[in-house]
Amino acid sequence: MNKFYCDYTEDTPEVVLDSENGIYTIKGRSLPENAVGFYEPIFEWFSNLKNANDVDNIVLDIKLDYFNTSSAKQITKLLLIVQKVSESKNILVNWHYFKDDTDIKMSGERFARLIDVKINILPYND
Amino acid sequence: MANPNKIKNGFTFKLFKGIQSDNLNYIYRGVFTQSITDNILNLTEINLDKAGENAKIKKRVFTIMVEGLQNITRHQEVEESKEKVESGVFMLQDFEGKYFITTGNPIYNANIEKLTGQIEKINNLDSEELKQYYKSVLNDNIISAKGGAGLGLIEMARKSGKKLVYDFVKKNDDISYFYLNTEISHENEEQSLKKRNLSLDHIKDIHQMLNTENIVLIFSGIFNQESLLSILSIMENQMMEHTLNLKKKVFNIMVEMLQNIVKHGVNGKEPNQNPGIFYISQVGETYMLNAGNYVNKSEEKSLCEKIDYVNALSQDELNDFYEESLFNFKIDNSKESGLGLIELRLKTKKKINYEITPYNDNFCFFVVQTQVE
Repeated sequence: MNKFYCDYTEDTPEVVLDSENGIYTIKGRSLPENAVGFYEPIFEWFSNLKNANDVDNIVLDIKLDYFNTSSAKQITKLLLIVQKVSESKNILVNWHYFKDDTDIKMSGERFARLIDVKINILPYND
Repeated sequence: MANPNKIKNGFTFKLFKGIQSDNLNYIYRGVFTQSITDNILNLTEINLDKAGENAKIKKRVFTIMVEGLQNITRHQEVEESKEKVESGVFMLQDFEGKYFITTGNPIYNANIEKLTGQIEKINNLDSEELKQYYKSVLNDNIISAKGGAGLGLIEMARKSGKKLVYDFVKKNDDISYFYLNTEISHENEEQSLKKRNLSLDHIKDIHQMLNTENIVLIFSGIFNQESLLSILSIMENQMMEHTLNLKKKVFNIMVEMLQNIVKHGVNGKEPNQNPGIFYISQVGETYMLNAGNYVNKSEEKSLCEKIDYVNALSQDELNDFYEESLFNFKIDNSKESGLGLIELRLKTKKKINYEITPYNDNFCFFVVQTQVE
């Protein structure tokens, strides 16, 4: 699998998808004007994952401190793709939230309830 | 003071029209700090770039802005010790190929005479004399405690090549507003200072409207993703002392309301007209966020129906509707996710107020107001 990387900007998160080193993270804030366009290549990368013979275990770390509604929809889509991939691979999602941030925590709990993938809800302090 | 439960009859449209009629293409009222000033400069740059302005004019506008903004920053701290006084205001007008920058800030009445003397002196000099005066002030090193000595004023007059227009409005026994207007033209700056007859009455009226409604942040100008990020950053700076949850709530709602204008706002009349207005007013602990923009008349009915529908739902029903919409991929494109209005209701736990003012055969002006406590 090719490595996918994009640096964070003022309105989009940092994304690292690197199966060689086993790093899968989406981190930062997500409020682009066109969320559909931003998430498209990430969907594609995950969709191709089911054909990758060299990858079996995936831990996806999502650590967002803010996302707008159009990103919420794309994250839903992403998790549905992850759910599909989990039929043939071991996938775990870690949903990180800042300990006082009830909104992000609740969003994670909502996804855990609605999507059939193992999602850990993890607080962080710094 | 505004009634937090009811949208004020036609106020937003009146304010918007007032701003348009004065060719104000950018207005900011609020607290001024260094980082906020940087964002204001950034917002102005977006507006100048859009107008395709050349580098020389841009530089002139910037120099004068920096002086004007620093003037506000310097003087507002005087006022912080006093009872709560209205914040400064900054406006950029673009009219017949000229730019006008107006700043307004409170000053002590005791300083009016000295300030008037400084400006009158500057206005009476020609450009060569002004250059000499600038040098002599610099050499004499007569720097006041606030770092002033009128150097900023001299610089503004020199860069603009025009006389400074100013006015005072008395607020009470201690404090007045000081308005200062500078014109920047495309002409060469090396000529003698030109006289200008300009009334600041309209600007004073708009400022008064902002003060009466206790508007802590207002923006009317180019709405795009870049200006949105600057506005968000200004608000983040303004809300530094608040709790994380309140900050995030306001941030959240601002993003949805502003992106709504970016994506759906249409120009009412002419292509260079601003598509809308966004402002936040504060009543006690309540923030009221207002967004107004033109919409096509054909969309008016469905927009009202959508708002009425989410307004009628209970918190539980809203949650269900949010989840249903999250998985509804029939509405899923770069313009719309179908979640924005539900989010506004969920986050504020208040009904969404709205108001429609007919404009012409094709457009109406649509105002959405939310409250955050």
